[in-house]
Amino acid sequence: MSSTHRVPVRAGVGLRLPHIEEVVATRPSAGWFEIHPENFVANPHGMELLQDLARLYPISVHTVGLSVGSVGGIDRPHLRRVRALIDLIDPVLVSGHLAWSTHKGEYLNDLLPLPYDRETLDTVAGHLREVQDGLGRPFLLENPSSYVGFAGSTMTEVQFLNELVDRTGCRLLCDVSNVYLSGRNMGYDARQYLDGLPAEAIDELHLGGFTAEDDDATPGGEVLIDTHATPVAEPAWALYAYAIQRFGPRPTLIEWDNDIPALDALLNEAARADAISHETTDIEAHRVVAG
Amino acid sequence: MLSLAETQQRLRDAVVSDKSGGAADLLVGGLNAAGRLAIHRRHYEASLVAALMGRFPATGWLMGTAPIEDAARVFVHEHPPTAPCIAEYGRDFPKFLTAFLTTRPGIRPVPELRAFSELDWHLGRLAVAVDIPPVTRDQVAAIPAGALADTRLTIQLGTYYFEAARPIDDLMKLYLADAALHQIELPEMDVRVEARGARGVFRFARLTPAEFAFRAAIANAQSVGDSAQNAWNVDESFDPGTAMAGLIDAGLVTDLSLVSALPVRD
Repeated sequence: MSSTHRVPVRAGVGLRLPHIEEVVATRPSAGWFEIHPENFVANPHGMELLQDLARLYPISVHTVGLSVGSVGGIDRPHLRRVRALIDLIDPVLVSGHLAWSTHKGEYLNDLLPLPYDRETLDTVAGHLREVQDGLGRPFLLENPSSYVGFAGSTMTEVQFLNELVDRTGCRLLCDVSNVYLSGRNMGYDARQYLDGLPAEAIDELHLGGFTAEDDDATPGGEVLIDTHATPVAEPAWALYAYAIQRFGPRPTLIEWDNDIPALDALLNEAARADAISHETTDIEAHRVVAG
Repeated sequence: MLSLAETQQRLRDAVVSDKSGGAADLLVGGLNAAGRLAIHRRHYEASLVAALMGRFPATGWLMGTAPIEDAARVFVHEHPPTAPCIAEYGRDFPKFLTAFLTTRPGIRPVPELRAFSELDWHLGRLAVAVDIPPVTRDQVAAIPAGALADTRLTIQLGTYYFEAARPIDDLMKLYLADAALHQIELPEMDVRVEARGARGVFRFARLTPAEFAFRAAIANAQSVGDSAQNAWNVDESFDPGTAMAGLIDAGLVTDLSLVSALPVRD
């Protein structure tokens, strides 16, 4: 990574358009901010503010429109627009999702699930190489929030992510809340999932709120929806502590995209992530010394 | 085993077109995995309807939000986005909305609704525009006299030209002033308007028919000569020199290029 900023281990927050003018004007104490480039590439005024912000804080770029899982390929003009934004603001990290969202020229505005098999692996690996070449830097791939899987999958999501790292040199963004949510929805053990990820490839963690809904299609009658509209839930905080124990301290990002609260609420969530990270790291250090 | 292409086609149909039958056999998760596709279908519809409602706030103020949401819920399934920036979505919605509302019982027709909602969409674009440094009179004067007619002028991106048979610019100013909407009478009256916006600030200027023909043609990438001809078609006394000077002095022109030297646009 070539950024002049270094990504701090301190937690950051997702910066959405309602907060950007406030952040530029008040310059709150924050570790770093994450933006979605799709909110800025067609917004010249937002881009001006973003450039001001990038002089003050480390910025992470989290794409939602690159769609590395689409069989139709990468939208190259969009990739070039993202590259141009990256060249302007010099982010510390660039990431996206293990999902697909484009189909024959349509943008479905959702992160849709993929079957985990050899054909998908070849497709996603090829697109990841193209994205990394196009952006001129490593790309962090985020594990999805899952409500369904595919009967024809021949490998687990963890195996699939490990293969992608081996084949492409991509990095991983582990969304801890997604791991918890998907484990609940799909019936797997969230800690075992984290245990299976390659710790050395994980460059970032995400935490976001989810919403429980009644679901008669689910054994417990409840499905967790990745709404990013609530505070991080207690079980996700507990899993975050386990992730820090497992991976060590990592740049952590609080996501909140809907029913967006005052900026202070986001910064308080980031402070809690910092506290858990420090506490867990201190305990681990004591264990090493005592052992 | 289906190919990835066929799998994605079936999921796309389930999410966009509500044809979940083709995807049902592919899925696992919960007791009724196919039923869980409703989560994706619901998110698709809700997020895009919300995006459209955010893109047409003045239209919602004028008509009430319920009929606009009804139209949006149908529109998003018939016209999925074709660009990754959802803020750009909905340019075709005004035409759809106008036709949709004529089929709804109890909705009183609103004159110039399509033009008003098109203006609404464009104001969203103008709100986030920025003015870039304009060219000067000296730069224009440096163009050889024989080349001026074949020159194209690039206009500030935060500009929109529209005409309507009612004063919808006044109606939009009422919305922007946060006025309560009671009974409003819009007289029949042709208006030709230049709307400018930058960093959230808007200006509206009414133009004469010839000025409008000239400036709208310039904004539509026609050459100075062709744009002047458009204006002469409306008013033989049109003076292109004065019109050019007006454009330059208003800071509207950001670049000059010869027609033959223009790069091909994407």
